Amino acid sequence: MTAPLRVVIAEDSAVLRDGLVQLLVDRGFAITGAVGDPESLRRSIERDRPDVAVVDIRMPPTFTDEGLRVAIELRRLHEGLGILLFSQYIETRYAADLLADDAAGIGYLLKDRVADVSDFVEALVRVANGGTALDPEVVTQLLGASRRTDSISVLSAREREVLSLMAEGRSNAAIARALVISDGAVEKHVANIFTKFDLPVSQSDHRRVLAVLRFLDS
Amino acid sequence: MEDNGMQVRSRFREILTAVAGTREDQVRATARTIVREPFAKRTWSELAFLSIGALLAFFGIAFVAVTLSAGMVLAITFFGLGIIALSVRGARGFGGLHRQLARSYLGEEIEEPDEFSPRPGFLGWLQSSLRDRTGWRSMAYVGLKVPLAVLGILVGFAFWWDAFFCLTFPVWGGSGNSPAVYGLPRVIFPNNFFSGLQTGFFYEFGVFLAGVVFFFAAPWAVRAVVYVDRRVLRVLLAPDPVAVRVRSLEQARAQTVDSSAATLRRIERDLHDGTQAQLVALAMRLGMAKEKLAEYETLANHEEPDPDLVRQLDHVRQLVDDAHRGAKETIVELRDLARGIHPPALDTGLEGALATLAARSTIPTELNLSLEGRPTPAIEAIAYFCVAELLANVAQHAHASRASVSCTEHGGWLRLVVRDDGTGGAQLSRLGSSSSGLVGLTDRVHAVDGRLDIASPPRGPTVVTVDLPLHA
Repeated sequence: MTAPLRVVIAEDSAVLRDGLVQLLVDRGFAITGAVGDPESLRRSIERDRPDVAVVDIRMPPTFTDEGLRVAIELRRLHEGLGILLFSQYIETRYAADLLADDAAGIGYLLKDRVADVSDFVEALVRVANGGTALDPEVVTQLLGASRRTDSISVLSAREREVLSLMAEGRSNAAIARALVISDGAVEKHVANIFTKFDLPVSQSDHRRVLAVLRFLDS
Repeated sequence: MEDNGMQVRSRFREILTAVAGTREDQVRATARTIVREPFAKRTWSELAFLSIGALLAFFGIAFVAVTLSAGMVLAITFFGLGIIALSVRGARGFGGLHRQLARSYLGEEIEEPDEFSPRPGFLGWLQSSLRDRTGWRSMAYVGLKVPLAVLGILVGFAFWWDAFFCLTFPVWGGSGNSPAVYGLPRVIFPNNFFSGLQTGFFYEFGVFLAGVVFFFAAPWAVRAVVYVDRRVLRVLLAPDPVAVRVRSLEQARAQTVDSSAATLRRIERDLHDGTQAQLVALAMRLGMAKEKLAEYETLANHEEPDPDLVRQLDHVRQLVDDAHRGAKETIVELRDLARGIHPPALDTGLEGALATLAARSTIPTELNLSLEGRPTPAIEAIAYFCVAELLANVAQHAHASRASVSCTEHGGWLRLVVRDDGTGGAQLSRLGSSSSGLVGLTDRVHAVDGRLDIASPPRGPTVVTVDLPLHA
């Protein structure tokens, strides 16, 4: 058995923090720290070098976007550290800030998603392994804010579903499972999307997320 | 009778003693004042005030008379209103000069009225100028200053002139070349008095004595005129009592608006830290329970299934499923509710919050934002809810394919423009009946003296413009 993923949790609500610890321990993760503010998070990461950090966006002292700012800073400082941002609200600009450089090892999820335990754990593992996990809400907003309405309207309904799931950072296999179709069908849809968007096909999941996001944002 | 006479005499003596004794100091002080007054700085300051004031009055009335009459003549056209507005603005300037004069020469500390702060745009400027009470009051002073200046010249200057004339009479009197005589000497002395025919020591001495009286009386004459002027300018050039009242009410209102915004923000934060966190933790535990139950169910089905146990397990799973779904739905509802109370993204500025709004809109929406500073939280909240409501209206009623939101700042005002390429024909009254949100919005905009204008010709496009002050 491989070594358990090491996780640090930064969440200022004690109820939620304890809950998360309980859930992740139950699912076989190693918790290196559970803290309530950005400063403690910095120290904890410095000390324990975890694989992934779950970070609440609203934390002391101002309860606005501390988590986002510390996440951007931590990404610069610690290469390979996955960061899963965790919030009650999805803000388009936060997503844009977060994905400005790279989508590798980044997640941005609504706190609600923790209610669907397996999906949440899957997203966390994905982020820890350098993948991407974007909330469906983020994807909806990015699609909504996109000026590429013409390109998007060319897609079939199924292709749009695949696009959304792909933008969330899911692998072909996961998309196939979610839509209950075959892996081959997913591959075909993905290829169609890239052709219609006139983008080079990319193998790695997070690269293609970035390609799609860039395209939507441009 | 005797007694009575005695009493009167002793009473008279008492009075004399009192006057001579206890009032002696006061009499002496008064005499000293009278003697010194013609040489006092204050006297000459007041004279300077009258002189410069008279000059200002001349220019002031000329300006007002020309602009106001030109404005009146052209008032049927738009142009005339502009000239009248200019006249009011100019009068305000003259009022300021007079106030400055009174401060420098009379030491009159008159509070400055509020600065002129027009609404944005030419129409706003016109309206604000024409309604500028300070300007109209200044104009009243500029008008009243004319008789005051005439009075000042007649009384104040006449006294000085008379004093000069009478004191120098012995030098030139009788020589036949009499200087012009105005003012009081004309009234007091007979007409032929200065003709040069009447001479002689007693005449000359009498006139000289009168000159002395005029000399010492002149400062008080000037002071009397200045006193009247002071009373008038204290009333007309001081901040308008109505404006002062309005301002204190505005301040009180701003406090109310700000504190209610702060309260809403606190409620949202309490919800976020308390109820929402609890609910998420609850949903999470229900999620764990649900997945555990699913595992047990699989196990129970694998080995020899006990139908009773399977049924019971299934029932429990149903209950947990429902609870789980309910908890998740409640989280979403609570989030929408909290966002309606105070969108947390506003805490980091309008930009992020509006970006999310534009992105969430079902109609593709372009956002242009250029703000130098940050408005107060209350104004940011109003601006946010304006855009939210207007975009919702676009999505519901406009049949639009595109919308744009712009948010700019100019001259102390925040301007929001929400535009769509829809069918148009939107009216506040019609929108009002279909959306109570917009009516509430108009109320909120008006509550901070903002404005909401809808331009929506049939077949579109619809442009809604909201002007908000940067602070309540």
